[in-house]
Amino acid sequence: MPSIKRIAVRAAAAVMASVTLFTSVAYADEPYDGYNYDWWGDPVPSQNGYVVDKVITGSDIGVGALNEPGDMFISDNGDIYIADTAYKGTLDSSMKGRIVVTDSNFQHKTTIEYLDFGDVQDWVAEQDNALASGAIDDTQYKKVTDIYFDGPSGVFVDEDVIYVADNSNDRVVSFTAETDGNGVGYGKVITVYTRPDADVYDSSTTFNPSKVLVDAADNVYVCIKSITKGAVVFSQDGEFNGFFGANRVEATADVLLNAFWKLIFSREQVKKMKRSVPVEISNFDIDEDNFIYTVTESKNVETDIIKKLNSAGTNIFTNLGYSENTFGDYLTKYYRGQTYSSQITDVDIGENGTINLLDLKTGRVFQYDNECNLLFIFGGKGSQKGTFTTVNAVESVGTNVYVLDGRKASITKFKQTEFGSIVHDAITLFNRGKYDEAKAPWEEALRRDSNYWLAYIGLGNAYLNQGEYEVAMDYFMYNSKVGYNDAFKGWRMDFIRDNFTLIAVIIVGLLVLVYVIAAIRGKVRAKKRAEAERLFKAQNKGRED
Amino acid sequence: MRFDLDMPAWKWPFYIMVHPFEGFEDLRWKKAYSMRVSMVIVALFFIISVCEQLMTGFLFNENYVKIFNIVPIIIQTIVLFFTWVIGNWALCTLFDGEGTMKNICVNTAYALVPLLIGKVVNIILSNCLLRTESAFITFVGYLTILWSVVLLISGMRTVHQYSIPKTLLFMLITVFAMVVIIILLVLLVSLFQQVYVFIYSIYTELLYRFSNLEPTALILIFIGVIVVVATIVIAAYTAFEKYQLKKELQKLKS
Repeated sequence: MPSIKRIAVRAAAAVMASVTLFTSVAYADEPYDGYNYDWWGDPVPSQNGYVVDKVITGSDIGVGALNEPGDMFISDNGDIYIADTAYKGTLDSSMKGRIVVTDSNFQHKTTIEYLDFGDVQDWVAEQDNALASGAIDDTQYKKVTDIYFDGPSGVFVDEDVIYVADNSNDRVVSFTAETDGNGVGYGKVITVYTRPDADVYDSSTTFNPSKVLVDAADNVYVCIKSITKGAVVFSQDGEFNGFFGANRVEATADVLLNAFWKLIFSREQVKKMKRSVPVEISNFDIDEDNFIYTVTESKNVETDIIKKLNSAGTNIFTNLGYSENTFGDYLTKYYRGQTYSSQITDVDIGENGTINLLDLKTGRVFQYDNECNLLFIFGGKGSQKGTFTTVNAVESVGTNVYVLDGRKASITKFKQTEFGSIVHDAITLFNRGKYDEAKAPWEEALRRDSNYWLAYIGLGNAYLNQGEYEVAMDYFMYNSKVGYNDAFKGWRMDFIRDNFTLIAVIIVGLLVLVYVIAAIRGKVRAKKRAEAERLFKAQNKGRED
Repeated sequence: MRFDLDMPAWKWPFYIMVHPFEGFEDLRWKKAYSMRVSMVIVALFFIISVCEQLMTGFLFNENYVKIFNIVPIIIQTIVLFFTWVIGNWALCTLFDGEGTMKNICVNTAYALVPLLIGKVVNIILSNCLLRTESAFITFVGYLTILWSVVLLISGMRTVHQYSIPKTLLFMLITVFAMVVIIILLVLLVSLFQQVYVFIYSIYTELLYRFSNLEPTALILIFIGVIVVVATIVIAAYTAFEKYQLKKELQKLKS
């Protein structure tokens, strides 16, 4: 008969086995490993802040497969607008592209298949006149008055008005969504923004809008890849207002050398020189406070990867020092014949000013807080859920982040993890200066991920605020020089104040000691020297010259 | 004429430090070059450099202390010192320099003393000062480096009995000589590495061929083969020499 002890042991073993079995079944992994950067700029493993919730394709929405969708926009009421760029329509052979509108749960609302110029007959007549007078040629006329899209690559929605950057048709159209008698969605055109006829707009430059956005004053900003002067700005009624937010020219050795030669060369020679032009902006987004964020996709530059522009076009990040930060991955990696360095292709401003940057090269989303501290990195290249082939757009609503993949023709919805929400809580409180309230979430974040750099700075600041300088110094050690400096200042002050008498006594004592030793040594030395001189003279007696 | 220069060897560096110009002359006159003291200084140079990397306060530490690697420090102190000494000696002997290797070694080491003191002071200061007070650290750093350079120039001038411009010129050329030495060393090391790789690949090849043998036996066989080959080569060479000798003798006879 087995003893009670043996039965107990067996029962315990069975329970443990079943527990391990069930937990391993319930365990699911992300196709990417969360990581972050530490103070040294080295990548360190980290908890995931975002995990895949679901992947939505065109058939899930109910509009058939999407074809290389180029852009996505989520309006204030949660409706999702997808620019289905390479869609081949059935209405006409020339149509290429449509705008798919769904609600926040990806239930199909409507699809804009064509445009109706009924409300802008004046504008059409103007174009007719221009064609008759020869101001524009036939192909151009056909393009701007085309009732179908031709590769719409950017979409923006301001209340009910939809703005579409109709790339190959050389225009930006704004319209409202309507449905005709056959149940097909169409756009009632309000304004058409075409190639400016102004002197500042170089006549050789094409007008192929890739992205569009509208600010609070209803100015329309158009991002064009062939223009390095910044975004093209139109007023609401289609008048060209100028350029906005050009990048700076990066001060490479080449550029500096050019600047040097320009001092010496004559005007004719300078004209023949290669001009140093900045890199064009490749995408932008606007936040609630009407600041425009631009990003630069080029992998050859490091300046102005991201800018935060006020309405005057001044980059606020320059003054705050954030422009010097590295955005995207820190390292350039060479692996199997390909160089991997970050190419930021889209930017999105989420709640509390979090900045989501989308990296085309690595397929990763880099999330920063509004002070450009790196919070999370998620996504990647691959074919699993949560990894991408060619990322085109990133948007965020609340705690969810949506990434649009062009080649996979799908939208991936990421949801925040518990760790993510803890960090977001903490950083929000922290950036408002509520260091003490942020202490608890930071401690929780550290408990879950001891590599999380920002948590150390947060806790350091909390202790610094409470006057516990020594603890603060421990947290700031190799995490923040600015913080450590402040904590050390406080600690040193306290130390001197507490031990002032002792320090004063030691200093006076040392001074006296030094004086006494010097006096004694001087006497001894004088004696020695006299002795040596006497000896020397005695030895050389009679030999003096 | 000084009458009180009969001091112990360890006091000389400090005496020279405060008498940059006549100090080395006195050292030369008294023939008080001490190899032992100079080696202690070089060792201290190494140790203080390690301490500098590890113990400089966080606010002023620009080193990557996450991973501590001693090799660069050895190269930056000990190897650098001896390449300087060897390079300088090799050059200046050819150009009427009077210094022996020992004299150059001792003078160079004594010239380093202010630099070392500056480093120690800076390690201490960096743990007491804030970032706004960094000017003190920079000042001490530059002052002591300047002091050491002046001492080095004076020391090299004295030891070789050169004029100042000639000293400066040869110090500059010594730097080039050091570069050449280091390049040659790197070449040599990589060459030996190639030889090692060659022998090792033969060894592994044999290991595959005779996998039924014990590795120790294999090594013995390997050594045996080398010995046999070497004997054959030597035998062939001696035979060849004998033959040459014979030929020459015949020539002489005829």
